[in-house]
Amino acid sequence: MIRIILNEWKGWLRTGQFRWLIIFLVLILAAVSYFGVQDVAKRQARIDGSKQEVRDQWENMGASNPHGAAHFGSYAFKPLTALSALDEGVNLTAGRVLRLEGHVQNEIVHSSQSQSVFISYFGPLKASILLQIVIPILIIFLTFYGIKGEHEQGRVRLLMVQGISYFRLIFGKVISVWVFAVLVLLITLIIQLLTFNESISGDLLLRTGLIVLAYGSFYLIIGSITGLFSLKWSGRSSALTTMLAIWVVWLIFLPKITSWFVQEQYPLPSRQEFTDAMREDRSKGIDGHNPSDEREKALKDSVLKVYGVTSVDSLPINYDGLVMQADEEYGNKVWDKHFGALFGVMQKQKTSMQYAGFLNPFGSLQSLSMGISGTDQWSHLHFQQEAEAYRRVFIKALNDEHAFGGSRTGDWGWKAEQEFFNQIEDFHYKTPLYSKVSSFYWPDWISLGLWLILSLFMLAFFSRNANPISQ
Amino acid sequence: MIQLSKVNKRYKTNSALENLSLEVKAGQIYALLGANGAGKTTTINLLLGFLEPTGGDVKLDGLSPYFNRRKISERVAYIPENVSLYPFLSGLENLEYFCDLAGIDQSKASLVEILSKCGLPSEFHGQKVSEYSKGMRQKVGIAIAYAKKAKVLLLDEPASGLDPAASNELTGILKQLAGEGATILMASHDLFRVRETADRIGILKHGSLVEELNAFEVSANNLEDMYLQYMKN
Repeated sequence: MIRIILNEWKGWLRTGQFRWLIIFLVLILAAVSYFGVQDVAKRQARIDGSKQEVRDQWENMGASNPHGAAHFGSYAFKPLTALSALDEGVNLTAGRVLRLEGHVQNEIVHSSQSQSVFISYFGPLKASILLQIVIPILIIFLTFYGIKGEHEQGRVRLLMVQGISYFRLIFGKVISVWVFAVLVLLITLIIQLLTFNESISGDLLLRTGLIVLAYGSFYLIIGSITGLFSLKWSGRSSALTTMLAIWVVWLIFLPKITSWFVQEQYPLPSRQEFTDAMREDRSKGIDGHNPSDEREKALKDSVLKVYGVTSVDSLPINYDGLVMQADEEYGNKVWDKHFGALFGVMQKQKTSMQYAGFLNPFGSLQSLSMGISGTDQWSHLHFQQEAEAYRRVFIKALNDEHAFGGSRTGDWGWKAEQEFFNQIEDFHYKTPLYSKVSSFYWPDWISLGLWLILSLFMLAFFSRNANPISQ
Repeated sequence: MIQLSKVNKRYKTNSALENLSLEVKAGQIYALLGANGAGKTTTINLLLGFLEPTGGDVKLDGLSPYFNRRKISERVAYIPENVSLYPFLSGLENLEYFCDLAGIDQSKASLVEILSKCGLPSEFHGQKVSEYSKGMRQKVGIAIAYAKKAKVLLLDEPASGLDPAASNELTGILKQLAGEGATILMASHDLFRVRETADRIGILKHGSLVEELNAFEVSANNLEDMYLQYMKN
């Protein structure tokens, strides 16, 4: 087997067009990886700069009214992971910056894509595009022409008389192309790791290993199926045409059809419907129960009772702060209800897309690539939830200061000292360890594993039972 | 060493071989003469184990090739009309590669010696096969067979497209191998070359052996007359 692999490689390296194609591809990937990491580093530096700027403004705003500070707000920045240089995932369209303020839960904004003049179908040139689209096409062509060459030039008979089985010959061809593809992948990842500025953690190494496993499995699936068709059609062009057609279906048609079907099955409300429903529940009460005026009356009664006074003006605290916090907490409930429902639908959509991987292994690869890189929808939602959790603590601290910091009801001109604001810590998001989120990706791994087993089994079965000479 | 007894081979409705019986002993060169489609290549494919006979018995060194392809491959060498080598490798590298696949452990020096013995001048050993003539490729093919120390050599139109000198050289090499004990079956329609090379000659027509004779018993002219007569009828 090793001899077949080495001979195949020798053939590529000694054949001018292949040699240049391989050199060109490796150089392009190396360049894309290097510049991808540099780009991530620059963007991360900009994020760090912006975070610092926001913090500086916060720490230098001077004595201010806490409620004013809540409107001034803060920002949550989603950090870029090391592997986002490999696969940007949903970051491009979903954004990485979330404005945090009182009364309202904002959406993540400032996606690279939305600001780009050069919006294209595939987005910016990332290593993942080359690894997911270009390398498989190369695998298809190299595997097909490797097998076709043996048939067309009548070498199969000569090789089999030497005692090697047709299975060994075909499998050797598939593996030689696969090893090449995996080497290209490894070169890309090694460049990424070496040029990545931050220290390499165990989690990053685990994620990198899983990237190799996912892409390596997918490449073997592609190679095995191409090998299968090539042996079924004895290297005739129909094998190549069929494989390319399957590739186009996997790459373009199935993802479109699947996402359309999933959206039909589990529709998401439009942005307008979502915000209208939130506003409705907030003013009229969740599901029409407990409207805002009734809530306010109940709060007022309970506070007056606690302090043993008859009017809010007699309270030793600032009642406005309590009202705002109560409204905030009710708003949180409303958000939890609506966002929870939205999250549920998104979860169903994502899971359905993952199960579609049993029809389309490319879908499983994409899902794993983004998931392992920490740039998929799960990661995006996790960041959003963490940022919201921080916003609640942040706003509560400001409302509590407004209520209990020393001011009285109606005293909107009252100001808290700068020291108070300095005590409030910034939002620091840490991408969860892969081991904590690995359960999300089992459907993708199972689908890829089943495809791999099935394609290898089919290749072994048909090549062992095929008579290449009689075809 | 080679035994075919009442062998039939049918492809769907077409009959490629009908009741073919022949025997080739060790050290003998047997030539199968016949027009295109007479069944020469089918006979070779049956002996290589690539095809299963529809009827009759095919034996090579006492084994049925179709059911013992692996064992047969250890004993047989095959030289096609066009020896398709890897064009990006040299003659020596090709020989080395094919020997490796066959599990033959030969030193580089002995491979060089084999190539020279099979008539490939040493200055061409390291040159890429893409620059070889057909005759030179044929010699590498013979070297592959030689290195394998195969008991049986099956050749399909080995002299086709070779110039007279290369063809003559091929005859010499085959006779030498037969002299060393190899059993050789060659399919051809080159009457002159067959007459020069083989010990026994069989004429195939529509899958049946219509004549079998000793090469030394017939002149080239007589063989041609006989062959043309069979083809006409």
